[in-house]
Amino acid sequence: MVAMEKAGVPAVAIAARSFARAWQSCVDGWGQPGTAFVTIPHATTGQQPDYIRKMVDEQIDDIILGLTRLTATPAGNGRARNGGESTETLIVEMDDTPLGLDAVNRFLEERDWSDGMPVIPPTPAAVEAMLKGTKRDPQDVVMVMEPGFGLATVEKIAVNAVMAGCAPEQFPVLLAAIDCIAQPEMNHRDMQVSGHTEAPLILVNGPIARKAGINSGTTAMGPGVINRPNTAIGRALRLCLINIGYCKAGAGDPNFIGLPTKFGMCIAENEDLSPWQPYHMDKGYRHDESAVTVVTVTGPADILDSSSRNHLDTLDNIGSNMAYRYSGAGGWLRGWQSAQVGHTNKRVPYQGPYHPIILSPSRAVILAEAGMSKQDAQEWLHEHCRISLSDVLGSRGMPKDANGKWLTHPELQHLENDPHATIPALESPEQYLLFVTGGSTHYANFFYGTYGIATMPVEDV
Amino acid sequence: MKLQIMSPAADRVDFKVPPAPRLDSLEGKTIGLYNNMTGGADVAVDRVAEHLTNRFSGMKFQRYGGDLRPGRPALSRGNHIDEEEAAYIANEVDAMIGATAH
Repeated sequence: MVAMEKAGVPAVAIAARSFARAWQSCVDGWGQPGTAFVTIPHATTGQQPDYIRKMVDEQIDDIILGLTRLTATPAGNGRARNGGESTETLIVEMDDTPLGLDAVNRFLEERDWSDGMPVIPPTPAAVEAMLKGTKRDPQDVVMVMEPGFGLATVEKIAVNAVMAGCAPEQFPVLLAAIDCIAQPEMNHRDMQVSGHTEAPLILVNGPIARKAGINSGTTAMGPGVINRPNTAIGRALRLCLINIGYCKAGAGDPNFIGLPTKFGMCIAENEDLSPWQPYHMDKGYRHDESAVTVVTVTGPADILDSSSRNHLDTLDNIGSNMAYRYSGAGGWLRGWQSAQVGHTNKRVPYQGPYHPIILSPSRAVILAEAGMSKQDAQEWLHEHCRISLSDVLGSRGMPKDANGKWLTHPELQHLENDPHATIPALESPEQYLLFVTGGSTHYANFFYGTYGIATMPVEDV
Repeated sequence: MKLQIMSPAADRVDFKVPPAPRLDSLEGKTIGLYNNMTGGADVAVDRVAEHLTNRFSGMKFQRYGGDLRPGRPALSRGNHIDEEEAAYIANEVDAMIGATAH
């Protein structure tokens, strides 16, 4: 709608009431806090047409008003500048009373600068120590983070890393994760502002994992002292998304209920126990190089497997998770998604979703001992995880030209009326992202990918 | 004691878009109806069109989103209106009503 206003066309949007703050947050970022919108009580998806009409009826006067009269412009939030200046410092009064000890947290929470959990105070000395974990200039802008279009300077990322409890040796992992988020194919805007629930999963490969102290064994995605680096890095990314991207709960972040995984997820591949080459080598990195992958996911579903007798049982059990019909299955038939970035909304096509399957080492060994490479396993899943073509077509139809010819994948149009036709759930085998980590037990975790994925190198400090 | 801390909140790109001039009247105007293909958004904007038709004479409507017409912008879920499309649409309509399922 802001794009239309910019083009000189008055516009009014209709949004569900629970998205009102999200809408305001987005238009703030788009530079027009006064963009007109009305709200209706509920999201329209799945509602009966008569009910939708009733909700619209109640707002029609305000819709007309929005086209004919300018609304008052609310104040924006956050300093608007174009970088190059160091972070402002603030003074907090503390004492040794219970309230006094919590003063920094309350100070941050009053400004909505927190994930809601206690943080380490980001003092200038602590931030300076964090910056020793990188060779980058503190005022370098790593990215412009949406929806708030915040400038992610190295220094600002360091402030949030301190708050999360990161150590300087973990800082390069966090920076590489934000390098990933900065890639257009990540589609980080939609990751941030979608109403459904998803979170960035950080996957670490190479020597940096050990250097940063990341646990790749038992309980690696859980709580505990041995997982502090995992937890701190994942949490630091979330704090950056909140404080730099302005993805605030209930505002920039309008998730209908949220996910506990949004507090942060960071794991490293258990390269010592995996029978396969590490994931970053699949992406062209050397074994002695370090890389971070970020993929946007929802879930996970824990795949219990105490009954498999062989590698095919194991894969079949994992693949059964794709039975969830709308888990991105078959969407590739309509072509790649596109990410839109920056204030011009330039489109960048990207392939998605990628479903990370976190295999315990024992599951990977079962496959490897049966002679399967990682690629063999991915191809098996690609071949066997299929969806009914009629289900895909029924959910949203196909883009067609004036003659009714499919604009994407016309080579499959001859199957259009075949009720028994199936297509692979995902377009390519590598979209089943097999990542070996955790303790060597009979489990796996299946994450549903939602938006994009990117892999970036970790700087050698 | 006084503790000095650094702000974790980022500066924002300084970007301002002035609002478009509003219409004096809707009589005889062409209104764009944009839905992003999420469920029910088309029903919502169509209802707006019904109301406007009943209240104002000479209303016309252009629909965006939903289908992919040859040579026209593909406006769908995940595809927001970019500057080029906005300029294109601005030649066709006097105002725009948009709805998402959200």
